[in-house]
Amino acid sequence: MKGMSCYRIVLATLLVFFVMAIPALAAVGCDLNDPDRDVARFFPDSSGYKTSYVSIDKRGGDTMLKRVEKRLGDRFHGIYETIDVPYTIYEIRKGTQKIGYIHGVNQKGAYGGIQVFVALDTTGRIRSFYIQKMTSQWAKKLRDPKFGRQFVGLTLTDFDSYDPASGKASGKLTEIRNPASEAEQDFRASLRALKKNLILMDEFVYSPEKGRP
Amino acid sequence: MISRFQIAYKNLLRKKARTLLTLIGIMLSSWVLVSLLGFNRGYEHALNRDIDNMGYQLMVMAKGCPYEAATMMLQGGTGLRYIEQSMVDEIVKKPEVDKVTPILMQAFFDPDKGDGGGIAGYFGVEAATFPGMKPFFRFRQGGWFKDENAAEAVMGFEAAELEQREVGDMILVPEKNVKLKVVGILERTGTQDDGTIFVPLKRLQMISATDKITTIGIKVKKGADSTKLETALYLLPDVQVVSFTQVKQTIMKLIATARVMVLSIAIIALLIAMVGVINTILMSVLERLQEIGILKTMGAMPGDIFMLVWTETLILCSSGGIAGIALAFVFARLSDLLVRRVLPYAPGGELVAIDMKLALLTLAVIVAVGLLSGIYPAWKAGRVRPLESIRSE
Repeated sequence: MKGMSCYRIVLATLLVFFVMAIPALAAVGCDLNDPDRDVARFFPDSSGYKTSYVSIDKRGGDTMLKRVEKRLGDRFHGIYETIDVPYTIYEIRKGTQKIGYIHGVNQKGAYGGIQVFVALDTTGRIRSFYIQKMTSQWAKKLRDPKFGRQFVGLTLTDFDSYDPASGKASGKLTEIRNPASEAEQDFRASLRALKKNLILMDEFVYSPEKGRP
Repeated sequence: MISRFQIAYKNLLRKKARTLLTLIGIMLSSWVLVSLLGFNRGYEHALNRDIDNMGYQLMVMAKGCPYEAATMMLQGGTGLRYIEQSMVDEIVKKPEVDKVTPILMQAFFDPDKGDGGGIAGYFGVEAATFPGMKPFFRFRQGGWFKDENAAEAVMGFEAAELEQREVGDMILVPEKNVKLKVVGILERTGTQDDGTIFVPLKRLQMISATDKITTIGIKVKKGADSTKLETALYLLPDVQVVSFTQVKQTIMKLIATARVMVLSIAIIALLIAMVGVINTILMSVLERLQEIGILKTMGAMPGDIFMLVWTETLILCSSGGIAGIALAFVFARLSDLLVRRVLPYAPGGELVAIDMKLALLTLAVIVAVGLLSGIYPAWKAGRVRPLESIRSE
């Protein structure tokens, strides 16, 4: 009888451990789910990576925020797109040589958060585009590597003409095809996230490297 | 006139390196001691808070292995055992019961959550009874759903943050492709509720094509005999009862071994520091035998010499103790993080809880043990024979 009681308590404890552990969801930052695996996938020739955390409020404050919003052509809105959002930058190395970066941003989608990552070379050119998470009936199409491959080779300059509000663009961006016409909102959200991602990388990494403020 | 404290202080400064090393030893041991005492208290408080925040003291669920709950999370609901909702009416009649709330836990597989997909967990709860179980919930935006059948959802802080949802936004239940409108976002609670999506029970039953529930949360009346109620609940067919009091005791038992081990380490660290104190003071006494002899020829009594040497111990221990406690305060959050990494289960909130009362208690222990350690060197100094010591080399 005593044994049964102990058994019950242990079972109950296991259950509570489990129940309390269920919803260990991520914070508002956007990290790779499995950095070791993902870095090797985007940069097969890499030998390691270094992670750094930056935010607009720590790197440039309101001035930088206004500059980012102006370049984006849209304001930061909502309660999650704020000046203090932490961004994780993965600096990829091959031996002692820096060979690129991976960076992701969160974006509000039609039915949930979208996590948009890009792998960039040291000049800011897109090597890979990857939607880590998206809640949508059409997510499969937008997460398909075929969709992502359309962005390979593009740079921030190609996004200069993209207006997130209207979804209008010119130049190379006009060649980007939405694989799910039913999910226009999420398609546009992905492009906005990508443009924002590239602007932030320029502000945090490429411009400081070139000595620009 | 120079005071005893000033003489003792100057004596300690004569061998700065030795004094400093002894101080560091005392400081480290008091840091460890106060942090561990803080952990002993903080962990229990945090666990109590987590359990209180469950809102109910007893949970009734279908009999079977609790690993089925894990199965539910991994396989999206298949394999889970349900209980009849009518059982709620049966339980609410028990005299010990204050409040009862039925819950349906469901998990749906979202293939687009990361590379291998992920699980989205939903809690079906009654708007009429569940909020009463969680009076400490505060809304960041919006409020509870009003209609038990509404296609609405209330999101925990982290769930909303991850999904970038605000009141008025829509969410999509994976697998089922059912759309729900977000009507409330909770403030952070530091518990599992932060990652939960609450949906009206009837709506979730409809989505999951079931009229059953998985759990019944029971709040026991104040002063009522919860063991008696537990026994009565076991008479219900095919259910098991989870008592959070028992759960707490079991968790405390599980970490008791770890607590004893770390406390032993703290005591060993304290003893080592005290051996350092004895060594430092004794060396200091032996080096000053002639001075002590001269003091005695000038009229100093053994008690005066004893007090002088003891004061040195007091200064060493109290300074080291205060510095160690200050370090413990400064690095409390770091200790918290380290403890969390080591423990198999750590409740939310502050795990290493250090306050002034605990700090003063630790200081008292350090000083008391230090003074005990200082008795022998002080006694030895007090017994020095003046002429012999003056003649000695």
